[in-house]
This record gives sequence, C-alpha cells and structure tokens, in this order.
Amino acid sequence: MRRSFRIRTVGATVLALALVASACGDDDASGDVPADGPTINVGSTNFGEQLIVGEIYAQAMEAAGYPVETSFNLGSREVVNPALKSGEIDLLVEYTGTLLTFEGGTSTTDSQETYDALADLYSGTGLTVANYTPAQDKNGIVVTGAFADDNGVSSTSDLAAMNGTLVFGGPPECPNREFCLIGLTDVYGLDFAEFKPLDVGGPLTVAALEGGEIDVALLFSSDGVIAAKGFVLLEDDQSLQPADNLVPVLRREIVEAYGQDLIDLLDSVSAKITTAELSELNKRFSLDAEDADVLAKDWLADNGF
Amino acid sequence: MGADPLGAQSIGSRLMEFLGDLAKWFVENWDGSGGYLQRTWEHLQVSGASLIAAAVIAVPLGAWFGHTGRGGFVVVSLVNVGRALPSFGIVALALPLTIWLAKTVPFISSGLGFLPTFAALFALALPPIFTNTYAGVQGVDPEIVEAARGMGITETQVLREVEIPMASPVILTGLRLSAVAVVATAPLGALVAYGGLGRFIIDGFAIQDDVQIVAGALLVALLSVLTEVAFTWSERWFVPSPLRRTAESKDLVLRPVV
Repeated sequence: MRRSFRIRTVGATVLALALVASACGDDDASGDVPADGPTINVGSTNFGEQLIVGEIYAQAMEAAGYPVETSFNLGSREVVNPALKSGEIDLLVEYTGTLLTFEGGTSTTDSQETYDALADLYSGTGLTVANYTPAQDKNGIVVTGAFADDNGVSSTSDLAAMNGTLVFGGPPECPNREFCLIGLTDVYGLDFAEFKPLDVGGPLTVAALEGGEIDVALLFSSDGVIAAKGFVLLEDDQSLQPADNLVPVLRREIVEAYGQDLIDLLDSVSAKITTAELSELNKRFSLDAEDADVLAKDWLADNGF
Repeated sequence: MGADPLGAQSIGSRLMEFLGDLAKWFVENWDGSGGYLQRTWEHLQVSGASLIAAAVIAVPLGAWFGHTGRGGFVVVSLVNVGRALPSFGIVALALPLTIWLAKTVPFISSGLGFLPTFAALFALALPPIFTNTYAGVQGVDPEIVEAARGMGITETQVLREVEIPMASPVILTGLRLSAVAVVATAPLGALVAYGGLGRFIIDGFAIQDDVQIVAGALLVALLSVLTEVAFTWSERWFVPSPLRRTAESKDLVLRPVV
C-alpha cells in the first residue's frame, strides 16, 4: 500500500510539473507583444469603484500581453499612496483633485487645470500620470428623499439651517479631510450634532442612511445606489469639491520599461470610462452584488477591448 | 557607512522618535469626548454589559444542567457551537436587525454602535461561562452532595449552598476567560460606529497614523491584562476560603475547562 501511494504521489508531482511547464510554454507563445519586463502590480483602495476600475485596467493590460498582478483593497489613500511611491504597487487609479490636494497642491473645479497641476507636480518624480478619464467621482453629500422633501433642502448650504441637530456619517478619515468634515465646517459653516465613523461610501453608510441612523451621509457622487435608493445628492453650491476625474497614476520606471505603447493602451481605456458608465458599474456592484472582475470583463468586451 | 539607511543607529533613533511621539500622544489625548479616558469608559460599558448579560443567563443554566446531570452533554455541545462563530460575523449579522429594531422600538435610539457590538460580545462570552459552570457543578464530589442530602436539605439548597460554592473557582475561571476575551474583542465595535478603544485603531488606520494605532493597541492590551488581574483578585471575595488556590487546599480545587 505504502509503495503504491508513494508511486502515485511521485506520478502526480511529475504530472503537475508537466502541466505547469506546458502552461508556461503557452504563455510564452501567446505573449505577442511585450512579455519580458517588470510585472505591473495594480493596487486599489477599499471601495467598490476602485476594485472595478482597477480590474478594468489590469485586465486590459493583461489581454495586451503585459505581466500583471493585482493588490486590491489595501486601504485609504494614506495607505496606497506610500505603497505606490515605495514601489510595492506600480499602478493606481486616482482622482485628480483629491490627489493634488493630498500632495499639497491646489485643485480647482476645472478638470484640465487640475490635471495639469498634478502632472507638473509629478514631473521629475518617480511617478507619472496617464490621461484622465471623462468620468468624475466626487465626495457627495447625500440625504434621503423624504428628508429632502420634509426639510426643503436641495443644496449643501441648506443644511446650515439645521445646525446642531443633524447626525453625519462618513468614512473614519473624514474628520481629517479638507473635502469632508473640515470643508463642510469651514466652507459651509455646518455644525453637526454628531459624526458617525462608518465605511467608505459603502453598504454600512447606505444602510445607516436608509435606516435613519444618520441624517446626512458622505457617498460618492458616481454611486448608482443614490438614484436606486431614492437618495438626493445635495448640490455643492460653494464648490467645495474640486474637479475629480479618475486618472491612472503609475511608476515612471514602468513607463520607461514598456514605452509609449503602454500609455496609449491606458489612454484608450480611459477615454471610454464616463461618469454614467461608472454609475452603472457601481450600482451593479453594490446593489446587484456582481463581482468586480466580471463587471470589468463585461465592460471591456462591450467597449471593444 | 553613510550609504546604510537602515543601519542600527538609524533604526535606534527612529524608534526613539516613535516612542517620543507615543509618549506625547498619551499626554495630549487623555481628556474630552475623543480622549482615551472616555474611550476606555465606553469600552468598559459595552464589555461589562455583555459579560453581565451572559453571566445572568449562563450561570443559572449551567448550574442547573450540572446539578441534574441530564441532557448536559447536548447543551454543552450546542453552546460550544457558539465558540465557532466569529465575532466579526456576528456584528455584520446583527447590524440589519439592530437598525430595524431602532426604527421600530421607540426607546432604542440607535442600531449602530452599542447594540451590534453588544450582540457579538454576548455571544462570545456565553460559552466559556456556561461550560465552566456546568463542569464545575457536575464535578463536585458526589459524596459531599450525598452528605448534604443526608442532612435533609432540599435540592435547591444543595445547589445553592453546596454545589455552587464548591464550584465557584471554576465558575470564576469561566467568567475570567470570557471577560478577557470580551475586552480584547470589543475594539470590533469601532467598525460599526461604536466608541471604545477600537476607535483609535480603526481611525488611526484610516489616516495611517501609526502612533495612534499603537497607542490604541497598547491600551486594549493593558485593559485586557488588568481585567485578568482583577478577576484573579476577586477570588478573594467570591470563593470560600478553603477552596482558594492556596498551597494547603490545592487538592480541593477543581480543574477548570479552558
């Protein structure tokens, strides 16, 4: 018994090795374009949209023959930004205005201006940006439809009339962010009765708003859940939120290794990501519970990649 | 030497700087609604409430099953299934229910924070208390129980005046195990907007503030150790003197179920 078991084990190992070898062989054969070069590690922060767009770029590059791996759900910008700079990840989908402010620059409501300032800021550093997408995703101040009707609010300024009574829910980093609690206090003069630290525009925040646990929520303006749940996105009438186009940020050494072809590929994908497409993808992710990799695959196929 | 950025001296000075920041954090963040005194109090509130609730249910139930000796195995197995449930999962499962409760029941003000955290910690505390009480009462020397019955006291009195005091070191061990687990797990509540010491860890992670994360973790660890010490001391008051863990009475002490 023992001997035959051993023979079988050896046989299985040999077979597995053969399979691995042949799999590798297949890879080499199909790698029609770049193949050898550094592996591109695509990272993402910790909310649905980031997983979806991360998958979209990763799968597009993979299909074109680039060696790609992914490190998703790493955490907030305070986690992924250092990871990108230290080379633990090589590509990250960012938001122009928020990133520019994070890096100490001044963002405006103009997409091109904000992008140019970001590109300038990164020139001469280890990072570089590809073209920005037409899609924007800003921090959105959201209330329920019933709340908006009862209190006659349609813009963020309208909330000031209820200072001291409202409960605001958002991500834990919100109290430290210019475009979140700091800006709402300084720019809009809002004074909430309480801030509840929840998740990053995710299911917990949605459930809390829907269940009446909080009156005002921070969600993402491109989130399809807002329309689907009958929530009202309050107008940013004081222009607190900067232009925030999605943009792939990548390490310069990756661009140097693969050249303009890689940038062209990223730009061709970016050109097709619009806010409407993004909202739809976000809705399918959060409400219909579809997987990010499947959504990305469908989207790429629909858009001819 | 200059080209060695991770040299011993550099690590040493960075560590010193970090410890300095940590000390500064402890000096600057003790008071106010977000200070660690308030957070510790919140931490103790939810931990204490769930431990007491678990004890109120598990001690009488465990003692009764241990006393009768019937059906005990089934109940112990059932309760022990509870040990396999991850606390994080219970928080997530409880949340929709507690939000619904807060909406329907007028005197429950919030379904976030305290309630889902309480649910998870209660489920965590229940099995060790029940199992230890059951094993402690069941393990009392049958000759002692027979002697008590021979004196003509009722079954309830046997349980209350003989079996429970005899089993008290083991029951207390169950409470201590639960208490330490609860205090160490309560930081989970920060994920559903509860306060407590977990706030420092979760918020610190969101803004990548290492000093705050380490400070929060140290406070949780310290509070867990203090809980352990406090329960060990409390034997003094709850365990009859001949049963205390002293050298001469060692043979009387029952073995707790860990």
